Amino acid sequence: MGRFWSILFLLVPVLGVLTFVLAINEVGPFYRHWLPVNINDHGGIIDSLFMFILYLTGVIFVATGLVLFWFLWKYDVAKNRAPVKFSHGSHTLEVIWSILPAATLLFIAIYQMNAWADAKLRRPLLSTGPDKTAGTRDDVVQPPLVEVTARQFEWRIRYAGSDGQIGTPDDVYTVNDLHIPVDEEVVLQLKSMDVLHSFFLPHMRVKQDAVPGMKQFLWFRANRTGTYDLVCAELCGWGHYKMRGRLYVESRQQFDKWLKEKFQEQEQTELKGPPAESAE
Amino acid sequence: MRFDRGCKNTTAAFLLLAVTLCGCADPPAVFVLNDAYYAHIERKTQTTFDPRSRDDIGLILASSFGEPDDPYVPLIADLDATEILDLTRVKQSSGRVWSDKIGIARGLYREHCIHCHGMSGDGLGPTASFLNPYPRDYRMGIFKFKSTGKGLKPTHDDLVRILTEGIPGTAMPSFKVLDKDEIESLVHYVRYLSIRGELERKLIELLPDVEDRLLDDALRGKQDDKYKAQWDTIRGTAREVMEKWVQAEQEVLPVPARPDGWQDPETMRASVEHGRKLFYGKVANCFSCHGDSALGDGQTQGVDAWTRELLNDKEQFLGLAKMTPEERDRFEYLKARDPRILPPRNIRPRNLRQGIFRGGRRPIDVYLRIVNGIDGTPMPSAPLLKPGEAPNPGKLSSDDVWSLVDYVRSLQYESISNPNDHEPVVTRERL
Repeated sequence: MGRFWSILFLLVPVLGVLTFVLAINEVGPFYRHWLPVNINDHGGIIDSLFMFILYLTGVIFVATGLVLFWFLWKYDVAKNRAPVKFSHGSHTLEVIWSILPAATLLFIAIYQMNAWADAKLRRPLLSTGPDKTAGTRDDVVQPPLVEVTARQFEWRIRYAGSDGQIGTPDDVYTVNDLHIPVDEEVVLQLKSMDVLHSFFLPHMRVKQDAVPGMKQFLWFRANRTGTYDLVCAELCGWGHYKMRGRLYVESRQQFDKWLKEKFQEQEQTELKGPPAESAE
Repeated sequence: MRFDRGCKNTTAAFLLLAVTLCGCADPPAVFVLNDAYYAHIERKTQTTFDPRSRDDIGLILASSFGEPDDPYVPLIADLDATEILDLTRVKQSSGRVWSDKIGIARGLYREHCIHCHGMSGDGLGPTASFLNPYPRDYRMGIFKFKSTGKGLKPTHDDLVRILTEGIPGTAMPSFKVLDKDEIESLVHYVRYLSIRGELERKLIELLPDVEDRLLDDALRGKQDDKYKAQWDTIRGTAREVMEKWVQAEQEVLPVPARPDGWQDPETMRASVEHGRKLFYGKVANCFSCHGDSALGDGQTQGVDAWTRELLNDKEQFLGLAKMTPEERDRFEYLKARDPRILPPRNIRPRNLRQGIFRGGRRPIDVYLRIVNGIDGTPMPSAPLLKPGEAPNPGKLSSDDVWSLVDYVRSLQYESISNPNDHEPVVTRERL
């Protein structure tokens, strides 16, 4: 009986790896279980970091599984009658298994620093200012195109309108429908009206907590038109599941047309039929 | 020995699990009688109704509207109600949540609405007590944001708009991601619940004057004349309720055009200035409720129609801490009869500086709120000059109202309406 159990333990790394292989290749029931398509120019680095960490942990996972199996197999009580030997630890081994993970973690921390700075700190610039150096105080940062305000349980969206400024009478208001132009750096301003939410565009590899009382900025550059998901990634209350919206990536021309139509609808002064169907 | 004990433990664990799961069975899907209103009318008319009348009302409603899992639509002779109550559409939203073979979502009401608005559309779902304002109780048949006049039902488009856009500033979210057909179905279901609830209230109102019983099922086949007469009264009442919904589509008030030139900043500024004067003027009198600085802090002791019924017959309520003995008495009596009702709350006039417009921010939306008032709330309809009427200092012209609209819509952009938010240091000043 004993060795039968060690086979079961061997199944853990085998099935684990198989699941990932099937999911990545979108086979059968695993269809669309892997990452959605990346449509953000800046999303590639997030994906490669993800894959790097996946391979790293994957190798350790498989190795641990195999070692566990090997011990169970080799020291099966039915086959192995030798008396137990007790060890009182090995200083060298302990140093190795402390330093190796520490070094690995430190490596990941340093390796990802640039990606983090690009995603969270280095907001796109309009110009580098008189000193012509990016990353200094006189940089002119790109103003947000759109402000998203999270609230239980929807995304209230406000576009800067034709004057490019948020908070003026030509702002365009929508809810749950985020339209953005393709092939352009888009800066988005994020607020929350009530509790913590998390603004998540899975296809953009963009996720940012919305904190009440704080303004956050995020940016991306979409490279493919279409309709994608906008979801809340922070359990924000009983209606968290309802907090869904749609992301429309459109050509600049279509985007401008949509924005103009939205503004006209918003300035509507007579009753017409039901609210116009959203674009697409 | 060891095996035995393990076996016993396993059995015990299974039993425990079974007992726990038994408690998880869904409660049956039934409509609940409007006990609060029943008690209210009893108390108001100082009568005690025949105890069988509760069952009678239940029977009448069940035979006209069915049950939550199997709804039907009452058929009234000579009244074509398919536009407002389409059985197929009502059915799509009713019942448990599932998807049929071709992927059409069913049970939409229970998926999206029930936790606030309740199985019977009474606004008493499990999450209702956490919300301010409370979710709407459809049974009164009063709807706030609509294009028809005071006291009338909303049109189809009004309801579609509320569902797709949501109501900013309240817990009602936007359901824009639902299909058009799904929204359509929910609109029919809301009307279904509202008509059912309003008929229920009207039947309760009939009880004090009814000779014997509202509907005596034992008369069927024995005294058919009397039985039929009872049903005629009921059908007449149902017709009253449903006709108003059918007519609503024709009741949309014509809106005089907004004066030209609003794109011109100078004209706009003049209009806003004129609107500001009207806001603080005696005729429009907006400031008396919305406050001297439009922060919604003028008259804060109002109550809405839903709360008023539980308290008094006045428009004022000084708050839970200052309830008069009569108010406390009425509320506690009703609470004892219908323990589900929620504690009363004041309704606050809108803070106009937040840029949150519950009924929509389009000029037409704000215009309609001013001209028609908001049903069920202390917001009155503006005294409007009729077309062709001579100017009258006690009334507003439609141009005046458009100026008020411009003023109200401009408030959120004034600098005092926009406190600065904290920005993360790293993005505010890049070092």
